[in-house]
Amino acid sequence: MEAFIKFADTLSTSMGKAFSWCIVILMGGTCYEVVMAYVFNSPTLWNFDFSMQMYGAILMMSGAYCLATEAHVRGDVIYRLFSQKTQAWIDLVLYFIFFFPGVVALAFYGYEYAAQAWKIKETSWSSPAQIQIYMVKSMIPAAGILLIIQGISEVLRSILCIKFGKWPSRMVVAEETEQILMRTSQEDDKKNVI
Amino acid sequence: MLFSLSNPEVAILMMGIFLFAVLLGFPIAFTLMAMGIGFGYYAYFDPVLMDHIFDNRIFSLFVQNTYTVMDNNVLTAVPLFLFMGYLVERAGIVAKLFFAIRLAAHRLPASMAVAALITCTLFSTATGIIGAVVTLMGLLAWPAMVKAGYDKKFASGIICAGGCLGILIPPSIMLIVYSVIAQLSPLRLFAAAIFPGLMLAGLYIAYAVTRAWLNPSLAPRPPAEDIPPRTEILKEVLVSFVPLFGLIMLVLGTILAGIATPAEAAAAGAFGAILLSWFYKTLKWQNFKESVFLTAKTTAMIMWLFIGSWTFSSVFSYLGGHEVFEHFFTSINITTWQFLVITQIIIFLLGWPLEWTEILIIFVPIFLPLLEVFNVNPYFFAMLIALNLQTSFLTPPMAMSAYYLKGVQKTNVELLEIFKGIMPFLGIVIFGMFLMYMFPGIALWLPEVLFAD
Amino acid sequence: EPQQKKAAVAKQETVTLKMQAAWPSGANIFFEMAGDYCKMVEQMSGGTLKIDLQPVGAIVKTSEIGEAVSSGVVDMGHWVTAYWYGKNAAASLFGTGPSYGMSSQEVMGWMEYGGGRALYEEAVKSVGYNYTGFFAMPMPAQPFGWFKKNVTQVSDVKGMKYRTVGLATNVLTAMGMVVRQLPGGEIQPAMKTGLIDAAEFNNPTSDSQFGMQDVSKHYHLGSFHQSQEMFEIPMNTKRLNSLSPAHQAILKNAAYAANSDNYFKALVRYSKDLVKLMNEHKVNVYQTSDAILAEQLKGWDKIVGEFSAKDAFFKKVVDSQKAYAKRTMKYLLMNQPNYKLAYENEFGPIADVKI
Ligand code: NA
Ligand code: NA
Repeated sequence: MEAFIKFADTLSTSMGKAFSWCIVILMGGTCYEVVMAYVFNSPTLWNFDFSMQMYGAILMMSGAYCLATEAHVRGDVIYRLFSQKTQAWIDLVLYFIFFFPGVVALAFYGYEYAAQAWKIKETSWSSPAQIQIYMVKSMIPAAGILLIIQGISEVLRSILCIKFGKWPSRMVVAEETEQILMRTSQEDDKKNVI
Repeated sequence: MLFSLSNPEVAILMMGIFLFAVLLGFPIAFTLMAMGIGFGYYAYFDPVLMDHIFDNRIFSLFVQNTYTVMDNNVLTAVPLFLFMGYLVERAGIVAKLFFAIRLAAHRLPASMAVAALITCTLFSTATGIIGAVVTLMGLLAWPAMVKAGYDKKFASGIICAGGCLGILIPPSIMLIVYSVIAQLSPLRLFAAAIFPGLMLAGLYIAYAVTRAWLNPSLAPRPPAEDIPPRTEILKEVLVSFVPLFGLIMLVLGTILAGIATPAEAAAAGAFGAILLSWFYKTLKWQNFKESVFLTAKTTAMIMWLFIGSWTFSSVFSYLGGHEVFEHFFTSINITTWQFLVITQIIIFLLGWPLEWTEILIIFVPIFLPLLEVFNVNPYFFAMLIALNLQTSFLTPPMAMSAYYLKGVQKTNVELLEIFKGIMPFLGIVIFGMFLMYMFPGIALWLPEVLFAD
Repeated sequence: EPQQKKAAVAKQETVTLKMQAAWPSGANIFFEMAGDYCKMVEQMSGGTLKIDLQPVGAIVKTSEIGEAVSSGVVDMGHWVTAYWYGKNAAASLFGTGPSYGMSSQEVMGWMEYGGGRALYEEAVKSVGYNYTGFFAMPMPAQPFGWFKKNVTQVSDVKGMKYRTVGLATNVLTAMGMVVRQLPGGEIQPAMKTGLIDAAEFNNPTSDSQFGMQDVSKHYHLGSFHQSQEMFEIPMNTKRLNSLSPAHQAILKNAAYAANSDNYFKALVRYSKDLVKLMNEHKVNVYQTSDAILAEQLKGWDKIVGEFSAKDAFFKKVVDSQKAYAKRTMKYLLMNQPNYKLAYENEFGPIADVKI
């Protein structure tokens, strides 16, 4: 179980991290467009579609990464009052009712959707540059598969939590400033106590 | 038919079950997805068109909606503004700003509170998210104020309320998301938000100064020997303010002067943020890398909500749910004024258990078709909601702002003290909404000047 | 149960179809025209066939309408074929392609009687769509649009940032313009803020509903970039076949009826709004210069040549259109008297006529 959790978490976070770098490409491409458009008065034909594709890659390929790092928002007003074991039971059941039907559909029907785009070598409808879009469409089933794998890992995590009464720890990739500050200030407090 | 319910009744059932399901604490994006697919399967169940039980049209709709979220040129600005915000909050600029402005403002009553609020306001023009602002200020300004003898409740209220301005004052992720939901121009929304944002900051400052003036023991003045000579103050202010001002001009200036799209301005802003942190010698590989990863994470967090909610609302609207609301609101025979009050109260109440993302993406679309019915300017309505959502960070039980402050000052302040300090600011937000209702020009004047003849 | 079914057929059970348009509700003449078609269907069927019309975005976004109809997410759509030219560039030819002398009326004639429909069905199938298309509304030529000044020379528009859609994007790119894509609602603010220098949408009514008169006072009528176009009304084939023959016939023939009605309405409304633009909003109205028109035709030749060279199907469609245009337009154009002559005989030189 732990081995699979580790495998899934590593897969999700490394895919998420790898595709995160698209933001730098997105920034670079758009800055290039700005310079070409406003300095040289010759905007590119491709950046409009290109920037959407980079953004699309970030969001699709980070879905599982978000799940692995617990970044998807929960309406946890009541949830967080429960014991960890109760939380794990709720999650376990809801992963099967709420989560898997959707992500399996995403993988399966997303595959059909992307395959059709590959078959006709689909290009963007909104640009004279004929930018291909079958590759970004492939990210839909890819995201579905990553989410299925990560979902299994989350189910196993719930089972472990039910067994041991405590959520297994998660890997930390990058923390929000507020989280770093809250964590480090807490460490300082502890030091003060000692 | 499901227990012989009509389709619109099923839509209402769907919304009801969703509201209950949210409270189960499962990630909302997937809860929405599940509701959309489950009720969609029912809505689209049609033996004539289905070859087998998995051949239901909801699955195609779901995949199409997913692609629609990916294929949105306005939303590309979201990761770029996030990236810029993460870079700026790691550039160490908040500390520099606060200490410089605090010196410059030393003659005012509650000078540190004023400095904290101005710092928050300035910083808000460079970042579109909150959290970092509250914690950074909570670590810097809060102890400084308390050490100087400020009332803890008063200081806490200042930090929590001031720290939320970033979501209102452009650039704002919230307004970009709103522009996509309501199909409004993000440029106009940005323009519309500038004066309401500054008005709110101004009201906060006026409140701080007035209270300290009426009751000096709340915020004692700094001792004269702590104040350096004027030239030194000026230098401090210049060093901390000028680079940030450049960045603000680069981003907001270009957008409002109509030179660039939000995404273009955001890309330039992110690049400017890199230069800024290079200037302040805080450009470290670790910071940069983390900003990249956090950008992806937060982008995905927001966009998966979109994927879930567009599927949810497609099905909701297919079942005729929107018409039910429209019919309800038109049949109860209310005036525009009453409509606005009712919707704002609903948004305010939703802000207790939920955060702005869920409120905007899931609930605001229900009200949007009604604007035409009640003849409400969509930009005006957007600004009322933007102001109102400030409260979602401040109202318990889900008062993120208070939790952030508590998080960095664990042993030094009680949550209850923070909430007591926040209360007057809730009142100010509501007063701000009232002012804007009385003088809609606060929101509508600037876009009118910038975007129409 | 079979008996029940028979009884239902006998009394023609009421069917409600979902249609999603590519146009917003509210003040939008295209949405209104989609509604007119729906009304006709309901009236002709004595209320047994209803169409629930939804505005753009209600269920899916514009670019997904074809897929939504094919998969049955909605039963019908109301849009234009140019919106799926990313899947097959030839799609644009079944609406807004090169003119060869034809107006929308003749392109629609080619569709029904000139071999166009078979090719259209081939195109629909080639992109994986599964729908049957009806057509309505022979649109008048779309104005070259809104500029910051009166443009007469090709050099005036070179390097200009311009908004349009479909194959027209390629044509105007070939003419040296920098074509940008913007959603309809963004055109007006983008123009005001200098994001684009010029834009077209469709006609005086739609353009003024978008508020173009607030950002430009120079409106250029007459252009070959989209000199013909019509609405495509796709209908899920499986759903169509599940309907009674009478209902099927109504859906088809109501499109023909809407075709006339849409056109009549367009002429009245477009001209009234043009009057409003000129008199109330002080918009200068010009005819696009021959120099620019000639360059547009050159652009079409270049684009058609390029696409035909790399896409045999594209070439087949264009060849069919050319053959049809060559014959029919020889008759039509030679037979057609110069209507302008009769107009000017009564009202004087057209450029000076006050309306
Ligand atoms: Na901001
Ligand atoms: Na057009």
